[in-house]
Amino acid sequence: MFIHEYRAHISTRFKQVSVLYFAKSAELTGLKAENITVPSNITSLQLWQDLENRHPRLSVLRDQVVLAVRQEYVPLGAQLLTLRQGDEVAIIPPLSGG
Amino acid sequence: MAADEGQDVITLTTDKLSADGVSESVTCPSCGAISLFIGTTRDNFEGKKVIQLEYEAYNPMAESELRKICSDIRTKWPSVRHISIQHRLGVVPITEASVIIGISSPHRNDSLEAVRYSIDTLKATVPIWKKEIYESGEPCWKENKECLWADGGKDSKVLQDAFH
Repeated sequence: MFIHEYRAHISTRFKQVSVLYFAKSAELTGLKAENITVPSNITSLQLWQDLENRHPRLSVLRDQVVLAVRQEYVPLGAQLLTLRQGDEVAIIPPLSGG
Repeated sequence: MAADEGQDVITLTTDKLSADGVSESVTCPSCGAISLFIGTTRDNFEGKKVIQLEYEAYNPMAESELRKICSDIRTKWPSVRHISIQHRLGVVPITEASVIIGISSPHRNDSLEAVRYSIDTLKATVPIWKKEIYESGEPCWKENKECLWADGGKDSKVLQDAFH
């Protein structure tokens, strides 16, 4: 495979997404947002594990968090995400609006 | 003044909320009832004195979830006329309103029930977070018991089922 074919192959299988951190998760990571590159086919749990690897302090939230992918809630589990380039993934600790 | 078509007015703001403003925005000549809910900030939690609250939101998704609530209301209570939901963000001083919901309908039953539904569903689904700052001790991010993934709501099957 030539290098340009390899790069094209990789880019179809990996996507850059924006991760948004809210509330406790923002305090634990020290970030409001970051861009990461991940496989476009990844489960919600695998994505969380990737984030825990980058930010070990997030582990305290593991049982109390869901994701929001393109502004729809996704629990952590085996659900396959089909991520697109530029997608927004938000970390959603337990809600306390109202 | 309100138009002929039923309006959904969603407001996320750091400004002080106004019950009069919400009431005026849902008034309509054909409606005999306006129901209002005002959520205010308490100065105590479990014996601790709360000196300040801070609210944070995932703004675009909070708006879209609030619009879903409005849409659900119109399906469940078709006679509902106008809906206004205001939520305050940023620092909210004690006793001031953090949320105001106003709903108008021809007769009182529907607007009363729809307001109840609104606040219950908002607490379960809208991505807004509240941090309590105490007189002494560490600040605390609150968790609504209505939220399926809060501590104590860790039944993963319930959670999986809820999103499908």
